[in-house]
Amino acid sequence: MEIAQLSLLKKIMEIEFFCIDLNLYLDTHCQDQKAVQDYNFYSEQLNNLKEQYEKFYGPLSVFGYSKSQFPWKWVDDPWPWEIEY
Amino acid sequence: MWIYEKKLQYPARVCKADVKMAKYLIAQYGGPDGELAAALRYQTQRYTMPTGQSKATLTDIGTEEFAHLEIIATLVFKLLKGVPVEILKREGLGENYTEHGRGIFYSDTTGMPWTASYIQCKDDVIADLTEDMAAEEKARSTYEHLINLTDDPCVKDTLKFLREREIVHFQRFGETLGRVREFYESKKFY
Amino acid sequence: MYDYNINYNLPGLKLAQAYIPLQKYVSSYPPEEAIKKGTIFPELDIPYIREKMR
Repeated sequence: MEIAQLSLLKKIMEIEFFCIDLNLYLDTHCQDQKAVQDYNFYSEQLNNLKEQYEKFYGPLSVFGYSKSQFPWKWVDDPWPWEIEY
Repeated sequence: MWIYEKKLQYPARVCKADVKMAKYLIAQYGGPDGELAAALRYQTQRYTMPTGQSKATLTDIGTEEFAHLEIIATLVFKLLKGVPVEILKREGLGENYTEHGRGIFYSDTTGMPWTASYIQCKDDVIADLTEDMAAEEKARSTYEHLINLTDDPCVKDTLKFLREREIVHFQRFGETLGRVREFYESKKFY
Repeated sequence: MYDYNINYNLPGLKLAQAYIPLQKYVSSYPPEEAIKKGTIFPELDIPYIREKMR
């Protein structure tokens, strides 16, 4: 995988991880307003990064969650366990 | 409903050809305290959780465990990739290779297949959550053993990430127990 | 003879129950650091220190 693509993918992993950890916190702390705000802030950042990634490198997800270029790019290699990080 | 994302949760790397580790890592794939057990345990317990909050925690942590399952598979895949059969045999992976080649299968370190006997779902929120807390500690402990077993800094790095996630999950299950207790106590007053 | 009137002095806590304190979110690691640590919360960041003689 080329450096620019990998770099963007790693950034997406970082921001998504932030959202995941905050998500688990919010599940037990539903009234934490600051946490909800922070979650939405990073969620928006995440969606922007994914849009950027998918524009150049193809879909990150299936079943309607991401669009695809032609020909259908979902099937493309490399798959996540094959990438040299 | 589950959606798959074509990326790992964590950039899992392997730096050395420590083939033996593949055999030990399988413990966290198909073993009693591994990620498959965790994912299936939480996913099936969630149906009989009493509150939206507890259903959310079980669903979300269960989903994250599937992502961890993928990370373990990735480490094993990378450790076995291109390794000649002679070396697999020498490093104690001959039995595994017989049955599975370089395929990744749900078994423990001895080759015993995964079983639902590793998990329980009792429709008793205290029993279920307490089991979940125990499961997270057992997983954390196994990751510490695995960290001790390798000197590959890249594998250690991924194992440290997975270990820390177990600590966070323990905290969340503990908090869920408290929230569910609050819920039941609030129902006593009307 | 058992004394049944023992004062445990455990406000809000009961016997035969497990309690985990609720975490309070105050600050977080920046994302690039958080993923390396395995959590965004400094108070939950408990690294592994290998015991000697094991």
